[in-house]
Amino acid sequence: MTDSAGPTAQRLLGSGADTGNSRRPVGLLLVAVPVVLMAWLIIWPIISAVLRTVWRADDTGAHRFDLSTYAFFFSDQYSLNNLGITLWTTGMCAALLLMICLPIAIYLRFATGRLAGYVQALAIFPMFVPSIILAFAFIRVLGPNGMVDILLNAVGLPKIDTPYLTPWGPVIGLVWDNIPLTVLILLAGLGAVPNAAIDAARDVGAQKWQVFWYIILPRIGNSILVAISFSVLGIFSAFTLPYVLGPASPEMMGPFMQRTFRDLYDPLNALTQAVITFGFCIVFGLFYVRSVARNQGK
Amino acid sequence: MDRRRFLTTTAGFAAGMVIVPRMASAAEGVIDWYTGSDSNVFDFWANTVKPAFEAANPGITINLVDAGDNAGISAIGERAIAAKQTGTDPQADFFEASDPRLPVGAIEAGIYVNFAQAGLENYSKVNPLAIDSDYSLPYRGSQVLLAFDTSKLAQADAPTTFDALVAWIKANPGQFIYNRPDKGGSGGNFVRRTIHQANGLDPSAFTVDNFTEDFANEALGKAWDILADLAPSLYDGGAYSSGNTQSIQLLSQGVVTMVPVWSDQVLQAIEQGVLPAETGLVQLSDLALSGGFSRALVLDNGANRDAALKLADFILSEEIQSAILTELGGFPGVSWDHVSPDLRERFAAIVPVTIPTFPGGAWEAAINDGWYRNVAPNVDRSQ
Repeated sequence: MTDSAGPTAQRLLGSGADTGNSRRPVGLLLVAVPVVLMAWLIIWPIISAVLRTVWRADDTGAHRFDLSTYAFFFSDQYSLNNLGITLWTTGMCAALLLMICLPIAIYLRFATGRLAGYVQALAIFPMFVPSIILAFAFIRVLGPNGMVDILLNAVGLPKIDTPYLTPWGPVIGLVWDNIPLTVLILLAGLGAVPNAAIDAARDVGAQKWQVFWYIILPRIGNSILVAISFSVLGIFSAFTLPYVLGPASPEMMGPFMQRTFRDLYDPLNALTQAVITFGFCIVFGLFYVRSVARNQGK
Repeated sequence: MDRRRFLTTTAGFAAGMVIVPRMASAAEGVIDWYTGSDSNVFDFWANTVKPAFEAANPGITINLVDAGDNAGISAIGERAIAAKQTGTDPQADFFEASDPRLPVGAIEAGIYVNFAQAGLENYSKVNPLAIDSDYSLPYRGSQVLLAFDTSKLAQADAPTTFDALVAWIKANPGQFIYNRPDKGGSGGNFVRRTIHQANGLDPSAFTVDNFTEDFANEALGKAWDILADLAPSLYDGGAYSSGNTQSIQLLSQGVVTMVPVWSDQVLQAIEQGVLPAETGLVQLSDLALSGGFSRALVLDNGANRDAALKLADFILSEEIQSAILTELGGFPGVSWDHVSPDLRERFAAIVPVTIPTFPGGAWEAAINDGWYRNVAPNVDRSQ
C-alpha cells in the first residue's frame, strides 16, 4: 500500500506541471488544510510542550533553561519502574503480535474457501470491540472465578493463576486489541508477493520453509516493520487496558501521565513524562518514515 | 476476491471514523451540568431529576455532562475562572458535586454563587451539620462501609473496629481488597480511615488549611506503614482494584469476602441483584469510615445562572430528597424533618450518627502520590 502512494502523487504533480501552472494553487490549497491542522493541533503542541518543560520561570520569575524535571524523572526509581514496565509491555506485545499475526496473515493470503472467510472475520473482529468492553469481558473470562476458572473447576482441575491486575493482564488485552491492524498491514504486504515467484520456487523443489524464508520474508520485511511500528506506537501510550487490567504499580506511562496530571495536579511533571514518552515513540515513528521513504526511493 | 475487497473497504471505513469535536456554545435555557461522580449518580440525574425538573420548568432543559472525576470538575472550574477574567461564557452552569475551594482561588475569583445570599426557598431546610461553605449546597450524602459475603463470614463475627478489621484481614489472607485511592472513594476513604487510625482517630486534625509537607510526611507516613504491612494479606498478595465498581465485581464473583463500598452504590448493587440480598454491611464503631455530603455548586458567571439556581432549589425539594433515599440509596442533604415520615421510619437504621470527613485540596494530591509511591509497589508478587 505504501508503494503506490509515491508514484501516484508524483504522477499527479507531474501532470499538473504539464498542463500549466493554473492547477498548482488548487493542489496546494487542498494540501494546506491538513498541513495547517497538523501544524496547529499536533506539531505546535509538541513544540510548546518541549519548550514549557525546558524553558521555565524560576523563583524570581526569570525564564531560563531548566532540565530539573527530566533529572527528577531519570533519578526517580518510581518513574523509571513505570518506564521500564511500559517498555517491557510494548516489547512483549510486539513479539507476541508478530508470532500470532504472521501465521494468520500467511494463511489468509494463500487459503481459499469458506473457512478462510471465517478466520478473517474472527481476526478483524477485535477492531469493532471498544477496549473498555474488552477489559470487562477479560475480567469475566480470565479474571478470578471467571469463565475459565468455572470450566476448569467443572472438570476437577485447579484454577488458573489469573493475569488480572498483574503486568500480563494488559499484555493479553493489548495483543488481542491490536491483532486486526497488524493482520491487515501484513496482509497488504503479502499481496505484493507474486504467486508466480512462489510457484517458480516450488517448481525447483523449494521446501515450505524455504519459500517462506527466501521468497516471502524478504518481500514483506517492510510491512512487518510498518505493522510493528504502528502497534508499538499505540501500545506505548495505551491507557484503558493497562488502567483497568494492570497492577497499581508499576503502571504504564498512559495511566501514569493521566494520574500525574489529574490526580496530583502536577501538569509540569505530566508534560515531562509526555515528552519522554514522545521521545520513545518518535524512534518507532522514524522506523516507519524511513521504510516509507526507502520504498518511494525505489 | 470478494473477501479481500471487503477487507479494503472495512479498513478504509475504520480509518475514516474520526471523532469530530463538538463545538458548542451555551444555549439559552439549557443548563450545562457537570458531574465527576459515579455512573449511579449520573443515572439518577438522567432518569429522575432531569425529567422531573424539566416537567416542572417548561422551557428549561438540562445538558448532563460526565466530567469523569473530581479533577475533571476542577478543570472545568479553571475554565470558568479564565472565562470570568476575559468576560466570556464558561459554558458551565452547575457542578453536581465539588468543593468550592477547588480550583484554588475559585471563591476569590467569584465564580461560584453564594447560596446563603441567593435566596433559595428551600435553603433553610438544609441539614446544618452538612453545611461546609456558603458557596456549596449539600444535597446528598453517602458514606463508606464494609460489605461482606455472609456465606463466608457471619454478621455476628464481622469486625467492628479498625484493629479487629486488621486482625481479620491478616487471619484471612487474600479475602480483602480495596481500590486505588485516587480511582474511587471506597478505597480512598478506607485509606483515609487508616490515616485517622494512625493519627489518634481525630478527624479534626486535618483541615484544608493545615497542610504542610512536613506534617503530611509524618502523618501519612504512619498510615503507609499500616497499609504496607497489610498488603501481603490482601487479594493476590497486594493487588488493588481500579475502581469502586471493580471491587464490587470481585465481591460478587466470590473472589474476596470483604470490600469497602459506598453506601449508595452497595444498596443499588443489592437492589439490582449484582450482589445477593444476604450481603452483609458493617460500619466501624470506633470511628466510622469517611464519607460525606456531596455539595452542588452553581457558577456565578454561567449564562444560565438563574435557571441553575432554580435547579439548585429543586433538588432540595421533598420530591428529590425522598428519591435520593429510595432511588439512589444516599442520605438526604436536608434535615430529616423535611423527609416524608414513612421514609424517615423506613430508613431509620442508616441515618448516620456521624460522618467523619477528610479534607481535599493539597491533602488529596499528597495521599494519592504517597500511596502509589509507598504502598502500591511495596509488594513482592511472583509473576
